[in-house]
Amino acid sequence: MMRMAVKGIGVAGGFGTGVADFAAALERGAVPAGSLRVATGDSERELPALRAKAEGLDEFIPKRALRRVDNYSKLGLLGASLALRDAGWSGADLDRVGLIIASGYGATATTFAFLDSIIADGDICASPTHFANSVHNAAAANISMLLGARGPSLTVSQYELSVPSALITAQCWLAEGRVDAVLVGAIDEVSELVGYLKLRGCSGFGPAGAESAILGEGAAFLLLTRAEDAPAYCHIDAVEMGALFAGTPALPPDALIICDADAGREIASRWPSLLHESASTACYTALYGSMPAGAAFDLAAAALVLQRGEAYTAADDAAALPSRAEAADPGEQRRVGTPCPPGKSGGVDTVSRACALRLTSAGEFGLVSLSRAGAK
Amino acid sequence: MTHPWPVAITGLGCICAAGNSLTECVHTLYGARLLPAAPTRFSSSHPVSYPVFEIPSFEEPPELLRTSALALHAAREALADAGLSSEQLKGLRVGVCVGTTVGCALNNEDFCREYRQGGDPDLEPMERILRSNPAAVIAREFGLNGPCQTVVNACASGTDAVGLAASWIRAGLCDLALAGGADELGRITYNGFISLMITDPAPCKPFDRDRKGLNLGEGAGMLVLESDPLRLCRNKRSRAYLVGYGSACDAHHLTAPAPDGAGLRRAINEALSCCNTPASAIGFVNAHGTGTPDNDRVESSVLADLFPSIPYLSTKGFTGHTLGAAGAIEAVFTIASLERGSIPASAGFATADPGLAGTPARCETAIPERLALSESLAFGGNNSVIILASGDAA
Repeated sequence: MMRMAVKGIGVAGGFGTGVADFAAALERGAVPAGSLRVATGDSERELPALRAKAEGLDEFIPKRALRRVDNYSKLGLLGASLALRDAGWSGADLDRVGLIIASGYGATATTFAFLDSIIADGDICASPTHFANSVHNAAAANISMLLGARGPSLTVSQYELSVPSALITAQCWLAEGRVDAVLVGAIDEVSELVGYLKLRGCSGFGPAGAESAILGEGAAFLLLTRAEDAPAYCHIDAVEMGALFAGTPALPPDALIICDADAGREIASRWPSLLHESASTACYTALYGSMPAGAAFDLAAAALVLQRGEAYTAADDAAALPSRAEAADPGEQRRVGTPCPPGKSGGVDTVSRACALRLTSAGEFGLVSLSRAGAK
Repeated sequence: MTHPWPVAITGLGCICAAGNSLTECVHTLYGARLLPAAPTRFSSSHPVSYPVFEIPSFEEPPELLRTSALALHAAREALADAGLSSEQLKGLRVGVCVGTTVGCALNNEDFCREYRQGGDPDLEPMERILRSNPAAVIAREFGLNGPCQTVVNACASGTDAVGLAASWIRAGLCDLALAGGADELGRITYNGFISLMITDPAPCKPFDRDRKGLNLGEGAGMLVLESDPLRLCRNKRSRAYLVGYGSACDAHHLTAPAPDGAGLRRAINEALSCCNTPASAIGFVNAHGTGTPDNDRVESSVLADLFPSIPYLSTKGFTGHTLGAAGAIEAVFTIASLERGSIPASAGFATADPGLAGTPARCETAIPERLALSESLAFGGNNSVIILASGDAA
């Protein structure tokens, strides 16, 4: 399939806003966790969470235009605007740019708000504004309208594999010449509903055994073009999805493997059979938190690693992800860690290839292979 | 690209209010009109009972969302129609691309009501949603290995899923793809569409002067798309070919189409350019035709400009608006009409609207051409179009 060039990155998450904040967090290896209040029966609990803020969006979009735009779409607008600016495409004609949004759970706060309007006030008081904004493609619609993107627009939801799934379509669009560039973005938000499901240990909500992971939210966007364009960061060489029963994905021995280690014990147990004994691994999940759309943050991290040719080294041997007891402390500092046995974390002198690997509890995988510009 | 544009379609499956199989649906389409009725699977407190097109005889298993169970039902029919057993699928690269609107949404009303009231709701309804991702359900049920994508592009999802799966075949990403859409009826979409004041309290009347809005429906449509090497190896004739796909965004409004239909025009032109075909070669258009004043006005204007004198119809008078399933069900119906050589009357249409640029088919109409276009317009300003050609089957 077609190689793609990563021309721009736009990220917003618990670490801050923009590439510089993300790179600083990667360098630092830690992000202070915020919190989420969740009502439980007659009391309230506070969960640690890496919360994202759509601060700075008014640099790109007039505040007036954002009056009816919910937080989920605002995160998407911010990620998209930052990626375009990072690529030097701010204000560009976007008629030949495709837009693909990948999300795990969609606009959960607005979905809940729509249900609330019915539950609180009855069927005839159902909120049309909440309903319209609760549709999964509402963020794509708002981005299209407010940034003037009139090309193909797509939203996909494949939970943990939403991002690889979106990238496969981006490759097809570029290969077919439908568009000259694709803005691929992943968005997930933390809401009270998400917090409650997390608190209750809802099965299927995140990988099995990941009860101790810290929730995250945010948006990560990549502006992608055909590979003949010089990449600002790196190339995406291949995207693969499949089922592990049919065979394990081939991981290049010289690549840094970025794992989605958000404390899923069941998934972690699969790694030894996938990773080469001497594989170099890294996990950056603790910098943005546990969320289905997290794969896009891994890609952003991989792009930064490849651009500088060096992995962000994990902080000594500390576990990246907190235990259940640690998770109860919202102020705990989170560090980049090395939860990927076997293999060594970071430590390669020059990184010219990276792979972002996502696994699901049901035994599916998504693998994105990236390389440094000029690497063969 | 490793494959030229025409992508063979070798199997079809469909379930909706018009029937539990494609054969039953075709019988309904060319027979007497089916009328919607008040919902029986849920109640509401609206003073007016808005009719819906329910599937009367389908029960989903308790472990799955009804949406995913509908998708599975249609997928089984499509695979059987293609002559493919589970055993034959092993060892192939099989993609699954399914459109939906409610199949991925974390919205269970009973759960949220109990939570809001300070209770400790049973997690099962939410866990059911989380294990019911429609594309993943199909892939797991049949033990498939390949790309998997659930498209949530509102009411264009089904059309997009079919067009995107064709791209996978063309790119050599899979040997075969199950593509389509599925959606169920429920109180959330029912109340949502009523809140937007685009729901007709009577049977819907697409393109009619007296149209007042849509009726919701439910169902699933699935198509088997197959690479030529695999099809030739199996000596399998195609029922149809997908020869074009286009999509474009209005970038105009969250829930209303652009008044000039700009996005729809671009999507149609892109689809036509895929097969290098003039608009005049299209035999008929299966329109989105929801029966809402805005949709039908924009769509009839675009059709009059781009396809003057070419017959068109809406099949939503037989099915209701099945949201994420609509484009897939209509793709299946379009192929059935190409095979039959005629289109049915556009159900619900009676009186021409002087404000619209044309009128849909009033009666069964012979179609000698081998090409047809099916289009979907969606919330978010999404416009998606596929062009289908007659297949090899006798």
